[in-house]
Amino acid sequence: MLSSIRPKKRVVFFYLLIPVLIYVFSVFVPLATAFYYSFFNWKGGPNKTFNGLENYITLIKDINFWSAFGHNIYLVIACIIGQIGLAFIFVLMINSRYTKLKGIHRTFGFFPSTIAAVSIGFIWSMIYDYKRGLLNWLLDLIGKGDSAKVWLNEPKLVMLLIAIPLIWQFIGYYMVIILSAISSIDQEIFEVSEIDGANAFQRAIYIVLPLIKNTLLVCVTLCIAGNMKAFDHIYVMTSGGPGRSSMVMALYGYKVSFGQQNMGYGSAISIGIFVLSLIVILGSQKLITYFSKDKEVA
Amino acid sequence: MEKQSRHMFSKVFVNLILIIFSLSCIFPLIWMFYSSLKEKRVFNADIVGLPANPTISNYTKVLTNPDYHIYQSMFNSLRTTFISIVLIVTCGFIVGYIISRIKFKLNRVIYVMFLMGMLIPIHSLLVPIYIVFKNFGLTDKWYTLIIPYVAFGLPIAIFLVEGFVKGIPVALEEAAAIDGSSFSRTLFSIILPVTKPILTTIAIIQTFACWNEFSFALVLISNTKFQTVPLAMTQFTGQFASDYPKIMAAMLLTMSPILVLYFVFSKQIIKGMVAGAVKG
Repeated sequence: MLSSIRPKKRVVFFYLLIPVLIYVFSVFVPLATAFYYSFFNWKGGPNKTFNGLENYITLIKDINFWSAFGHNIYLVIACIIGQIGLAFIFVLMINSRYTKLKGIHRTFGFFPSTIAAVSIGFIWSMIYDYKRGLLNWLLDLIGKGDSAKVWLNEPKLVMLLIAIPLIWQFIGYYMVIILSAISSIDQEIFEVSEIDGANAFQRAIYIVLPLIKNTLLVCVTLCIAGNMKAFDHIYVMTSGGPGRSSMVMALYGYKVSFGQQNMGYGSAISIGIFVLSLIVILGSQKLITYFSKDKEVA
Repeated sequence: MEKQSRHMFSKVFVNLILIIFSLSCIFPLIWMFYSSLKEKRVFNADIVGLPANPTISNYTKVLTNPDYHIYQSMFNSLRTTFISIVLIVTCGFIVGYIISRIKFKLNRVIYVMFLMGMLIPIHSLLVPIYIVFKNFGLTDKWYTLIIPYVAFGLPIAIFLVEGFVKGIPVALEEAAAIDGSSFSRTLFSIILPVTKPILTTIAIIQTFACWNEFSFALVLISNTKFQTVPLAMTQFTGQFASDYPKIMAAMLLTMSPILVLYFVFSKQIIKGMVAGAVKG
């Protein structure tokens, strides 16, 4: 290699300095700071008292935190089934030779995923609104007006009602990802299988599914990471309510830190979120690689 | 005969399902648009009907009342998004290239550090980043949000550039070096144009990410002078309470840059976002 391809150390250092500084300052410094403050009883003011592991003991016993974690997991599962499942079905439909307007379905279907989560949250709060909501209007239209509700005030339904916009927003996103994976499959495979008499269902399960398995696993990973950080929609739609029945981890950390000004405990919660999310993300990845290897052997 | 009618049935069924889905994706937008042309009273009486007497009064009210800070928040969002993207693309390009091509002691350390950024659950930084920014006096500044947005955008950008540069033959740089081009000159006038496709992808992904980002703006910005569009939206809904047509007008106005961008460049945007997601 020539010397000018290998630049002077000074030059490399100069180029890397600013990006690395910005990155370390926004990611590692906050993590270290949160770790430090998590051992203190600190209300955000100038006074703080060291209380050892007390925050973490509270965290482990904090039912609210664990139920928020449960809601994150609920969203992850609902979205894996709803988003990737529906996206896969829609892709098969789009790819069937009957379908018209393929380009329109792509463009329209993808559209919601480019909109801010905050806007999606507002749009759906309007849909769920008691007096002026589309949902109650629709129920009225089909003669079921008496089952109209103040939807987002129903503790038992609220998580489902929050999952629906989340699922809806990203179906098109996963649809396009899966579509691009399928379009890279050799068309001859489909033709041959059709000549061999495989019907649409058999083709989907035995040919398409195995061939795009890796893409589907990427989608699952995206789904998990995306839903562990759920915040915006819920902040807008219910703010975690009614009560705490739609609280998720990030929102709980936010409420404790800013609502109750309990920064010490808020820091401990942040560390808790960090560790739990990492476990879920890494754990699911291990599972995925384990299962995909297993199948290849069989 | 029976087979034919079954084909006919599945044809109608498949198309119908897809059309319903596509319409559901676009209908809220259309509903918001024509509803925003209604007066509050008219809307409350009939939430779905088309406006009999369309009026733009909601828009003029939103645009002329300085309490809503609509120009200010749109300007803030544009500035934050633009500067963040320029920085993400430039820094991502430089760091990605160096990591891919130059051997030095800390190469692996820096690579792994940025790679970890794609794994670190960023939302766990929400409260910690507030504490750090508060301690350094960095909250509520015009540049506040640019710092985390660049930091969170860098890992994927670096990763994409690094992968792309691997596919460029080293002969290109060697030839440039023989011709006496310096490292920086080769970097910007020879490598940069070659990597344009991947840099465009990065810019597309980050435009939407920065423009739509809400949670970090929420904790780091409390002064309305520096609030971005998503923050302003949470304010509208508070201020307008149940005046839905007005909220819709405000939302559509603040969404307009993204809407125009999307429907003009939808092909490139979809391609870019998907490429970024799959490779990342």
